[in-house]
Amino acid sequence: MQSPDLSQNYFELFGLKPVFAIDPVQLKMAQQRLQASYHPDRHVNESDRDRRLSVQVTSWINQAFDTLRDPVKRSRYLLEISGAEIPDDSTTTADVEFLMEQIELREAVDACREAADGLDQCHQIESRLAQRACELAHEFVDCFSAGDLPGSVIMSRKMQFIQRIQQQLDELQFELEGR
Amino acid sequence: MALLQISEPGESSAPHQHKLAVGIDLGTTNSLVATLRSGEAVCLPDEQGRKLLPSVVHFGDDARLVGSEALALQAEDPLNTVASIKRLMGRASEDLTRLGNVLPYDIVTPQDSNVPRIRTRSGDFSAVEISAEILKVLARRASLSLGGQLDGVVITVPAYFDDAQRQATRDAATLAGLNLFRLLNEPTAAAVAYGLDQNNDGTVAVYDLGGGTFDISILHLNQGVFEVLATGGDSSLGGDDMDHAIGEWIIATAGFVDVDAGLARRILISARQAKEALTLAESVDLLVEDEQHKWAGTISREIFDELIKDLVSQTLTACRRALRDAGIKTAEIDEVIMVGGSTRVPLVQSMVGELFARTPMCDLDPDQVVALGAAIQADVLAGNKPDSDMLLLDVLPLSLGIETMGGLSEKIISRNTAIPVARAQEFTTFKDGQTAMSIHVVQGEREVVSDCRSLARFELRGFPPMTAGAARIRVTYQVDADGLMSVTAEETTSGVTAEIVVKPSYGLTDGEIEAMLRASMEHAREDIELRMLKEQQVEASRVIEAIDAALAADGAALLSAEEQARIAKHRDALAIASESTSVDELKRLIRAVEDASEFYVARRMNHSVRQALTGKQIDEVDV
Repeated sequence: MQSPDLSQNYFELFGLKPVFAIDPVQLKMAQQRLQASYHPDRHVNESDRDRRLSVQVTSWINQAFDTLRDPVKRSRYLLEISGAEIPDDSTTTADVEFLMEQIELREAVDACREAADGLDQCHQIESRLAQRACELAHEFVDCFSAGDLPGSVIMSRKMQFIQRIQQQLDELQFELEGR
Repeated sequence: MALLQISEPGESSAPHQHKLAVGIDLGTTNSLVATLRSGEAVCLPDEQGRKLLPSVVHFGDDARLVGSEALALQAEDPLNTVASIKRLMGRASEDLTRLGNVLPYDIVTPQDSNVPRIRTRSGDFSAVEISAEILKVLARRASLSLGGQLDGVVITVPAYFDDAQRQATRDAATLAGLNLFRLLNEPTAAAVAYGLDQNNDGTVAVYDLGGGTFDISILHLNQGVFEVLATGGDSSLGGDDMDHAIGEWIIATAGFVDVDAGLARRILISARQAKEALTLAESVDLLVEDEQHKWAGTISREIFDELIKDLVSQTLTACRRALRDAGIKTAEIDEVIMVGGSTRVPLVQSMVGELFARTPMCDLDPDQVVALGAAIQADVLAGNKPDSDMLLLDVLPLSLGIETMGGLSEKIISRNTAIPVARAQEFTTFKDGQTAMSIHVVQGEREVVSDCRSLARFELRGFPPMTAGAARIRVTYQVDADGLMSVTAEETTSGVTAEIVVKPSYGLTDGEIEAMLRASMEHAREDIELRMLKEQQVEASRVIEAIDAALAADGAALLSAEEQARIAKHRDALAIASESTSVDELKRLIRAVEDASEFYVARRMNHSVRQALTGKQIDEVDV
C-alpha cells in the first residue's frame, strides 16, 4: 500500500485552501475519495504491515476530517498551523461584556428546565446561539485574514464557548422531549 | 483445488480466482450463513432445507448437538442445553437474566479467570467456546454447499456491542478455525442488503430488535458508500426480555412457587410461543405443567402490550438519542428499515412508525436480512468484485475513557466517532526511577468509572528510569475497523516502546484462548478416534457374523475338530474384545481371525467351485 504524505497539513490532505470558510461538500467528497483508497476494507488480503498501515492512515484521515468539519476545531487548527499561541482551556477571558453574555445564556438554558414551555424556549435560545456562532465566525475570519492572531485566538475561544452552551442545550432538549 | 476451479460465464478466468466467502449472522436466538450465488445473496439451508439454525447447543454424553435437535432437548435437559449464549459474550455472570430468580444454568467462574463458564455434563464451557460450536456448524454447512474450504467470513455483531463483546466474538471465530475478514455491525449489514440493488441515496434509520440485543443506526447512503452517522442501543434488550416479561406474568398469575430450572424453561417456551402467536392472534391460551405444577390461562394482546410497553419505550429513547447525535431530524429520515425477529411484534411496529411518522419497511425477511448483507460484504472483501464501489464507514458505539483520580472516567474517544480512529495522550512519571505504569480503560458514557464497563487494565513496562516528571510517555489508543481497541505506548524522549501486558476485565487472555484451541483440536482428534473405534467395532461384529454363518453351514463338513477349535478360539477372543476401546487392539484381533481362517475361506471357495462343476461336462466350463 502506498501511504499518503503524512507531513501534509489537514487542508492539504483534502486539497483545500487553508482558510476558515471551506466548502463542506468538497471536504466530504475528498474524505470519501481518500477513504475509498485507504480504508482497511480495501486492504483485507494484503500483508500484516499494509493492513496495519491502512488502519493508521485512515485513523489520521478521520482525525483530519473530524477537525475540519467542526468550526471550532477548524479555527483552532488554523491557528495552530499559523504558529499562534493557544492558551489552554483554563485561562479565563477578561472581556466583561462577553462574561455577562455567558452568564445570561447559561441562566436562560437553566430556566428552560422548569418552564412549562421549556422546549419552545429551547428553540428560541437555539436560534440565538446559531446567530451568535455565525457572527463570531465572521469576526474570526476578519481577524485571521488581517493577520491578527491574538484577536483570532479570542474569537476562537468565544466560538468554543457558544458551542458548549449549544451542547448543554442539546442535552436538555433530549431530556425534555423524553418527558 | 485450483485445477478444478471453473470460472463463471462472463468473468475473466485470470488473474484472480473466485474466493469462497460467507456472511454469518451469529444471533441470540437463531444463526444463519449466507453467500453470493450468481450475484445474489442467499441464505444457505441445511440438508433438511432449514435456513435458521437455532443458536442452541446441547452437551450430551458423547455428542454435541447444535440447532433444532438441541432446542428440542431444552425442557428435558435444561442444564446441559445452552441457549441465548450471545448474552454472555464478553460479560460476567451477573449480566445473565434470571427468571423467578433462577439462573438458567450452573455458572462457575474459575479463580484464575474473569470469564464465567457454564457447567455441563461434558465439562465447563465459556460463551466463546459455545459460540464457536455454532460457528463450526454454519461453516461446515457453507463448505459443503460451496464445495470447498472457506477463504474468509464476515461475522455480524450488534452495533452497540462493546469492545469486550467484540473481542469475544473474534475469539469464537479463531476457535472455530475461521479466517475473519471483518466484524460487521448488524444494522449496517441490513442497510447493505436493502441498499445495493436500489442504489438510492438518502438517509435511513435501521431499527434492529433481535432476540437479545437492540440497535438503532442512522446511515447516510451515497453512491455505494454507507456512512453511519450515529448508532445507539442496548446490548441486553430484546425478544428474550419479552419472553421473560410474559414468564414473570405467568409465574405471578399462576402463583407458582419453587420454580426450578426445568419449569423455568417450560414457562419460557410457552411464553415465547404465546408472543409469536400474538403477532396475529388477539389472545392465546396457555398451558404450563410439570410433575408438581399445572396452570392453564389466557393472555390477550392487550396484556402483552402492557407488559412490554416500557421495553419498547426504552428502544425509542435510544432512537431519539441516535437522531440527536447524528444531527438529523425525524422528518429528514427517508426510510425506516426493520430488522430482527422481534420487529414482528405489532406494538413495536406501531410505536416505531409513530416516532418516525412513517410506515417502517420490512420487504426483506427480518430474520435473514443481516446475514444477506454480511454475505455481500464478505464477497467484496474477498476480492471477488474488484470494481465494487461499496464502502462501509462505521462508528464507535460507546465512548472510550480512562480511569483518573477519584474513580472518574476521562473520555479519550467519544461515541459516534468514525472508525478507524486513534488518539494519543501524554503522561509523565511521578516517582524517580519509575519504569512502569498502569492504565484502566473503560467504555461507556457515565462520569463514574464504576458505572462504565471495564475493558482492560494495561500495564506498561520497561521505560528507562528517569527523574520524576522527566519521562514523556505517549499512549496511543487505536480502534480498528472491527471496532476493536488496542493500546501502544512509547517514552518519547528516549524512543523506548513500552512492553504492554493486557488484563482484560471480562475477556479471555491469549493464554486461555490458546488452551481452548488446543483442547478443541484434541477434541477433534477424540472425535476422529471415536469414529475409527466405532468403525472397527462394526467391522468386528461383521467378521464374527460371517465366521458363525460359515461354520454353521459347512464347518463340520470342511474342517477337522482341531481346525474348528482353532478358528473358534480366535473368534471368541474377538467377541470378548469387541467392546474394547482400543482401535489397535480390535484391528489386531480382526486380523488374527482373518489369518486363522484364511485356509478355511480357500477351502470353502474350492468346495463351492467343485459343487458348481459337479454334474457338468468339461466343455461347459470356461477355462
